[in-house]
Amino acid sequence: MEIRSAAVIGAGVMGSGIAAHLANAGIPVLLLDIVPAGAADRSTLARSAIDRMLKTEPAPFMHRRNAKLVTPGNLEDDLARLAEADWIVEAVVEDPRVKSELYARIDAVRRPGSIVSSNTSTIPLSKLVEGQGGRFAEDFLITHFFNPPRYMRLLEVVAGERTRPEAVEAVTGFADRSLGKGVVRCKDRPGFIANRIGTFWIQAGINAAFDLGLTVEEADAVAGRPMGVPKTGIFGLVDLVGLDLMPHISRSLLDTLPPDDPYRAIHREPELLRRMIAEGLTGRKGKGGFYRLSREGGARVKEAIDLGTGRYRKTGKPRLDSVEAARGGLRALVEHPDRGGRYARSVLLQTLAYSAALVPEIADTVVAVDEAMRLGYAWKYGPFELIDRLGADWLADALEAEGMAVPPLLRLARGRGFYRVEGGRLQYLATGGDYADVPRPEGVLLLSDVKRGSAPVAKNGSSALWDVGDGVLCLEFTSKMNALDADIMAMIRKAIGLVGDGKGRWKALVVHNEGENFSVGVNLGIALFAVNIGLWPQIEQQVEEGQEVYEALRTAPFPVVAAPSGMALGGGCELLLHCDRVQAHAETYAGLVEVGVGLVPGWGGCKELLTRHWTNRRRPGGPMPPIAAAFETIGTAKVAKSAAEARDLLFLRDGDGITMNRDRLLADAKALALKLAGDYAPPEPVELRLPGPTARLALRLVIEGFLAQGRASGHDAVVAEGLAEVLSGGDTDVTRVLTGADLSALERAVFMHLVREPRTIARIEHMLETGKPLRN
Amino acid sequence: MPTYKAPLDDVRFVLNEVFDLGALARLPGHEEHTPDLIEAVLEEGAKLCENELFPLNQSGDEEGCRFENGVVYTPSGFKEAYRTYIEGGWTGLSADPEYGGQGLPHTVQFVMEEFISSANMSFGMYPGLSLGAYNALHRWGSEEQKRLYLPKLVDGTWSGTMCLTEPHCGTDLGMIRTRAVPDGGGDGDGGGGYRITGTKIFISAGEHDLTENIVHLVLAKLPDAPEGTRGISLFVVPKFLPRADGTPGARNGVACGAIEHKMGIKASATCVLNFEDAKGWLVGEPHKGMRAMFTMMNAARLAVGIQGLGLAEISYQNAVAYARDRLQGRALSGARAPDRPADPIIVHPDVRRSLLTMRAYNEGARALAAWIGLSIDRAERDPDPDARQEADDLVALMTPVVKAFFTDCAFEATNLGVQIHGGHGYIRDYGMEQYVRDARITQIYEGANGIQALDLVGRKLPQNMGRLLRHFFHPVGRHLEERMEDEGLAEFVLPLLKAFTKLQQATALVAQRGLADPEEAGAASSDYLRMFGLVALGFMWLRMAETARRRLAEEAAGGAGGRDAFYEAKIKIARFYFAKLLPQVNALFITVNAGAKPLMDVEAEAF
Repeated sequence: MEIRSAAVIGAGVMGSGIAAHLANAGIPVLLLDIVPAGAADRSTLARSAIDRMLKTEPAPFMHRRNAKLVTPGNLEDDLARLAEADWIVEAVVEDPRVKSELYARIDAVRRPGSIVSSNTSTIPLSKLVEGQGGRFAEDFLITHFFNPPRYMRLLEVVAGERTRPEAVEAVTGFADRSLGKGVVRCKDRPGFIANRIGTFWIQAGINAAFDLGLTVEEADAVAGRPMGVPKTGIFGLVDLVGLDLMPHISRSLLDTLPPDDPYRAIHREPELLRRMIAEGLTGRKGKGGFYRLSREGGARVKEAIDLGTGRYRKTGKPRLDSVEAARGGLRALVEHPDRGGRYARSVLLQTLAYSAALVPEIADTVVAVDEAMRLGYAWKYGPFELIDRLGADWLADALEAEGMAVPPLLRLARGRGFYRVEGGRLQYLATGGDYADVPRPEGVLLLSDVKRGSAPVAKNGSSALWDVGDGVLCLEFTSKMNALDADIMAMIRKAIGLVGDGKGRWKALVVHNEGENFSVGVNLGIALFAVNIGLWPQIEQQVEEGQEVYEALRTAPFPVVAAPSGMALGGGCELLLHCDRVQAHAETYAGLVEVGVGLVPGWGGCKELLTRHWTNRRRPGGPMPPIAAAFETIGTAKVAKSAAEARDLLFLRDGDGITMNRDRLLADAKALALKLAGDYAPPEPVELRLPGPTARLALRLVIEGFLAQGRASGHDAVVAEGLAEVLSGGDTDVTRVLTGADLSALERAVFMHLVREPRTIARIEHMLETGKPLRN
Repeated sequence: MPTYKAPLDDVRFVLNEVFDLGALARLPGHEEHTPDLIEAVLEEGAKLCENELFPLNQSGDEEGCRFENGVVYTPSGFKEAYRTYIEGGWTGLSADPEYGGQGLPHTVQFVMEEFISSANMSFGMYPGLSLGAYNALHRWGSEEQKRLYLPKLVDGTWSGTMCLTEPHCGTDLGMIRTRAVPDGGGDGDGGGGYRITGTKIFISAGEHDLTENIVHLVLAKLPDAPEGTRGISLFVVPKFLPRADGTPGARNGVACGAIEHKMGIKASATCVLNFEDAKGWLVGEPHKGMRAMFTMMNAARLAVGIQGLGLAEISYQNAVAYARDRLQGRALSGARAPDRPADPIIVHPDVRRSLLTMRAYNEGARALAAWIGLSIDRAERDPDPDARQEADDLVALMTPVVKAFFTDCAFEATNLGVQIHGGHGYIRDYGMEQYVRDARITQIYEGANGIQALDLVGRKLPQNMGRLLRHFFHPVGRHLEERMEDEGLAEFVLPLLKAFTKLQQATALVAQRGLADPEEAGAASSDYLRMFGLVALGFMWLRMAETARRRLAEEAAGGAGGRDAFYEAKIKIARFYFAKLLPQVNALFITVNAGAKPLMDVEAEAF
């Protein structure tokens, strides 16, 4: 069965977020909630949820127009419309009675064979289907989304004994392909996987901070990056989730966990937390939490609560030798004798032992547990991957030394570990004691798997070329932050040479990587160094080299498909503009942001974006509209906050694809590249007849207007002038035909002029030091 | 017997003609410090150095300091000279008027330091160390400490020291063992004091008979100190505890255990100081002593560079005199003084090479010192914060270059001075060998020159992605660009442009390789620093040459006239510099490029 429409019941944060994301998948969604007493608009809860979401950052919708796919309604007037839905998601309060009554009402109107799922995080499925009639239990499952549903990749799915396999398959397939989720099958156990382990981990972390006398910022400095956990660590995470939520979660776990579950032993409710919740110090949504920003004479000061005194004080930069030592690996961290090392040891020993004891109780495989923690808590490594980093033997020995029980599964892993690579394939240790291949769904092609199983076709300090099969070559950036540099340019040239005319061993090139961001452009620090020592000829040569390489990519006699995910900014965005097609992950954030550092795009970004607007068939007539459009996009450093938004800005074109699931991106890009390779012809050269000074004058008026209104700073105006010079064609007129090379030369000249400006240098410096643009 | 004449003419040229000394008087606080006033001060200073300090230089070296029963006696005449010195107000030359100083620009202090170092470097050590102590207390001391100590340091009745080095550690101060424990008592200092125990060595001016009290600034560790340099605190420990009225009171627990017998600066007392439960007070914050120490150290490093310049200058003056006087052999192309028994040796190309090398380094260094001195004044007083930062960046960048390159050149120059004298240079009568011996320490103390090179490549280069470099590379690059079309300057602009480009490339190379492997930066550091110094001096020589050309043109157009020879000489020395010294940059570029392998490839056992 295919899911073509959906309904969500409950327009709270989770319900409305799920509805928005279903709309992101392109299907119509009915969003229902109760009718509040005396409401004039009987669907006000759903309607206002949609309105609110249009103002929320980060946005639940990938594009504003997706909001139109969500139809607000209420449970009294619109219940019958549930019959339109293939999938009904319940996301109401965590009260079994409320849910039970609701299910009966749903069951009465829903279409036969439609699927009903609950977003519960605490109530067992067995309890939810209790007393429901007919075939309800066969069509019912739990789909546990994480907040915020658009961005958190984990979806925990629990099927009951009676749930139809086709129903599970339909939801799983849809969630995977259309919602982009990593679906993890869980057993019907309290807290499922992620929250079961996550709650234990948080509790262990809070306990150890009190017991070992760490400040909250010290604890988070240890239980953050060094453990491969987001830098919020534990206390920062609780602030994010809400302190007041913690007692609810623990109570529901205490109500349902087995009597001998170790969580019971470590559960505590420190007086300080109770007091903070009572005082409204519930975290980021409240008046502050473990951290808060206070204003002192206009300056924002970050404060943290002192776990001893319970009073706020200025945060100190934690200086722990153990955190330094962690660069040498996780083992170096947990073996370090300082309090940071002892903290890490305490938290990890408890959490990893707990996790190891839960397989196969809560999940069939360690793979599922690791994936749940990676996708649901954004850990870089799941618990079993962490154990492998420490060494299964080391952990078992350490547990024994502490007099703690060694779980049977960990004993099984002694001397070998939970994962291994065999014949180039990643394998995991199954509970039976044998290794098995880590399963990959059909249509998933991971570059990491390719890399595990083969040697690179070529490699240098910042990039590599991989054979991803069927004659497709994949260019991967490997530099720090995927910054673009001379090595990458050389590798692009190499790839162009290798693929040749596209009729030999290689047919097409895909540009893709599995980094957090596709590329945020050049390494600004290295660029600034060159600027500081005044290496102008070399800088100009690098600009020219970038232009040439990108142009060579654009005109290569074989298809080039970029497959970005995350940020593609500056030179990273310019690269997309020079590819034949882009197969973008839905969460792609593209933009030409050079003006933020006082520059204009110098690697053909101006040229390509202008050309796209020029040749856009839907554009109004005359030379000014395309120039003005490109001027606005580049001049205000617009960043598309999704692949869908990137289409509006012409960073993506018709024919470019969007993939919801990151794991499927490379396969989709490869398929697209092969499709193009069939009868490929490079793009025809575009000839532009630009107006020159008259257009520049028109843009100057715009700039002056901005200046007068205080919307542009002095240097904004200088940079915009430069941009106007490029986009208007420089010293030309409509009778002259300008080629790409002419525009590149113009782009380069303006870039070189701007890069020497002291205020541009100040912008670059400020960006590097603060991460924020300077408006000077 | 050597002679000395302070190079006032050249100083005037550099300050007023190459640079704009008048701009100093536009800085707030320096309104009265016009070029005329500064010139008058320097003339007085020159006289003091020529007439009072210089005559004691050779005798002081001969006699040395004497250590008897814990007391150090300076050589004959030093006490009287010191009295004259402080009576002239020279200890407070650039000091804060609030504490009795004259508040003159640092630029003036710089010039005086050169004169003093030429005349009698050993003598200069005593007020020099006081100035270091003054700087640290002025910047980091409490109001109480400033009120108590600064007026005495400024008027010279007390002197100061910097106590860093210990028997087992010098460069690596994180290892110091001197301890400070709170003594619990208030002792009228407001914040409670400390008891300092430990041994410090190589303490210049640590003990002597010139002043009624000595103010030691001591690095020590508090009981709860973190490991390494993050756990060092700075204390002020007076030899005599000051009474409430500011007069020296009871003797503190610090005593001189011995003085060192050294290669040079023999009239400067280099002491072993034993602190035993000595009363001290914290200066600045606990564990932040390195920061405070660097306030002293940065100024001191520049001062050491200037010491080198001073020694090279006096060596040059006497070498020239000798080369003119000494008749020996004939010029290679035939007699130049046929009426005399032989030609003066100055006719010989190689003697000229030596003399010109000395002079070109010296005058280039003097100009660079002026640029840095003026920048220190701008960094302190320019009303525009960006301009202050820029000037401060330039000073920070150039400090290791000034320290190491000037002193390396000075050692080269003083050796050439001996060489020109032949055997007479090697015996003591002519005084030339003393300059070599005195110069030798300048390459070592205040951070050995190898450490300066590491500071340059390891700290100054990468700081804020090369921000410090910008304030050297951009002005030089711009200066060259603006003169590309000037055919009259082409003979200077083109070679400097080539050398400058090499320096840019070397900078990028060192930064890039150093980022990946610090050993690479270390291996290139000394060669790179020298390249930097040569290019910086090249920039100075370009500016001096173009200034001289401009002045000649002005004089030809009806100016005052009379200085043609001076300016023409400048242009010729510039030519020498660009033809014979600057090209070292090419070889250094190759050695920088050679990387770490030739150094690190040899196993320690193989040496």
